[in-house]
Amino acid sequence: MEDKFDCIIVGGGIAGLSAAMMLARGNARFLLIERGEFCGAKNVSGGVLWGSDLARLVPNYWEEGLGFERFVNHRRLTFMDEQSAFSVDFKSRHFEETPYAGVTVLRSVFDAWLADRVQEAIDASDQAEESFMATDILVEEILQEDGRVVGIRAGEESFHSDCVIIAEGVNNLLTRQIGLEKDYVPDTYVAVGVKEVLKLDERKLMDRFQLSGRSGLTNEFVGMCSDGVEGGGFLYTNRDSISLGLVLGMRDLRDKKKTPYDVLNGFKEHPAIADMIAGAETVEYSAHVVSTGDIRGIPSEIYTDGAMIVGEAAHLLLNAGKAIQGMDYAMRSGILAAETALAAKEKQDYSSSMLSNYRTALENSYVLKDMRSFQDAVHLLHQEQMFGAIPNLICDFGRQFFTIDSEPTPKASSMMRASIKRHASYWELVKLGLKGARAI
Amino acid sequence: MSDQAPKRLSVSERLGLVNYRNQGRTDARAHIEVDTSICNSTCSHKCTTRICPAKCYTLDEHDQVHFQFEDCIECGTCLYACDQGAVTWKYPHPEEGRGINWTLG
Ligand SMILES: Cc1cc2nc3c(=O)[nH]c(=O)nc-3n(C[C@H](O)[C@H](O)[C@H](O)COP(=O)(O)OP(=O)(O)OC[C@H]3O[C@@H](n4cnc5c(N)ncnc54)[C@H](O)[C@@H]3O)c2cc1C
Ligand code: SF4
Ligand code: SF4
Repeated sequence: MEDKFDCIIVGGGIAGLSAAMMLARGNARFLLIERGEFCGAKNVSGGVLWGSDLARLVPNYWEEGLGFERFVNHRRLTFMDEQSAFSVDFKSRHFEETPYAGVTVLRSVFDAWLADRVQEAIDASDQAEESFMATDILVEEILQEDGRVVGIRAGEESFHSDCVIIAEGVNNLLTRQIGLEKDYVPDTYVAVGVKEVLKLDERKLMDRFQLSGRSGLTNEFVGMCSDGVEGGGFLYTNRDSISLGLVLGMRDLRDKKKTPYDVLNGFKEHPAIADMIAGAETVEYSAHVVSTGDIRGIPSEIYTDGAMIVGEAAHLLLNAGKAIQGMDYAMRSGILAAETALAAKEKQDYSSSMLSNYRTALENSYVLKDMRSFQDAVHLLHQEQMFGAIPNLICDFGRQFFTIDSEPTPKASSMMRASIKRHASYWELVKLGLKGARAI
Repeated sequence: MSDQAPKRLSVSERLGLVNYRNQGRTDARAHIEVDTSICNSTCSHKCTTRICPAKCYTLDEHDQVHFQFEDCIECGTCLYACDQGAVTWKYPHPEEGRGINWTLG
């Protein structure tokens, strides 16, 4: 058939755009469809894009310095009780080397920029006149014939292709439609992300966070930030704004009868946060579901005859406390699916056994390897003690340790014992500590 | 003058910062439909009235649940949180629906 594409990509988020970049470079004839007015218009993340795959997609992207906000050379993990914040803080010149290990992004800006780079790759490919990126169009159905995926339908129009890459994000209606995910997915393995972007004068922001040039800080929070609800907080520096938000376990938020916006208000008023955002003005409020990174949340399969599921549509994400990795997983899975599609084109074989190579490649990549090896850490993060007793204990210890009050000072070890006694049972802690040591 | 702590924002103040599509349109097509007869009969927890980040689900003085889609920021939470089968959830139609257009994201 003349008007059949090699591949159709549904969704122009990070997973879809990464797949598109590889297809354009491989001279495939493809169509990418995004429902937003532009790529990025519908997307929310924290967000730090970790890892170095961006440099594969857009070599030397740091030279122009567009698309991203700041590169990360300063990281901080903070434990909070009501009044205190105890941080593990790490800053290093090593993080200033390119390719950067992480960049902060605002998705409406970043995705739109990446889409422009993909368009350039299309223009430079053999299929410059034959491949397209279409925005403002909603894919309503995945078309199947004899159990094979053969294309998509948007409104009255149908488009056919040898394979479809589904990159629709975590709210994966199309993945459900083709039966790889149940029609109703309960709230067990998902969280509610809420976020504000607060504008702050660039100079002031750089002084306040001790930044230079394009360097940036990432700060994750556990404990009182989530008002007793399972979850954590984040603060990331952008060029002239701060991304501040929470990721809250949906089941727990529901059971504790709290509202995400009130918990966010409490977080903003914590003394440690209030000092960091003083004088800043909220310019956007957003929210989005995010996977918890529990491997049991992955659909029953991530490929079928004629289709592959990539990014968070396949629940590929890791959140083991020190970072959220959804965007880099989206990027890598999009790349691997596109490579599989190019190999399938070469052989003219789009059967599920051929496309299973995508799953194999993902299993052999850091994405599924890390998801598997850090599952214990993911589960640990959801234990009650991790957002109550542990941060309380750490802050209690910190308060004793850093207090100098003209009284005889006990040794740190006895301070620690006192803190433990106040906040947890010793055995509980030993068990948790052993688990933790194995998990990370 | 030293920097002031940002003032506490209400949900409606926060939503006032959101750039919705088809803001002016009064006949926008709903992308989420809620069978409130289920909400108001068999649902014991009414969790969506608390968990929706845009307060699209509200309780009136008689504890009756009401839903409006206009403020929805397409987060997806109610797609999972409603375990009663009351929510039919779709993505908004690009031209005729509401939904968001993030400027930062
Ligand atoms: C509050 C919050 C904080 C986060 N922080 C981080 C972080 O710091 N670092 C990190 O790596 N990850 C973070 N994540 C996770 C990360 O945002 C996601 O994992 C990532 O965006 C997934 O990318 P994706 O391309 O798979 O999906 P998405 O980014 O959701 O893209 C899906 C795209 O498909 C389009 N689409 C969907 N359905 C259709 C359809 N039917 N027709 C046409 N188009 C369609 C959508 O409009 C969208 O553009 C965070 C998430 C949240 C909510
Ligand atoms: S949980 Fe479902 S049934 Fe209950 S009030 Fe919310 S929408 Fe209605
Ligand atoms: S998708 Fe999110 S914002 Fe929209 S109604 Fe459901 S919970 Fe509320």
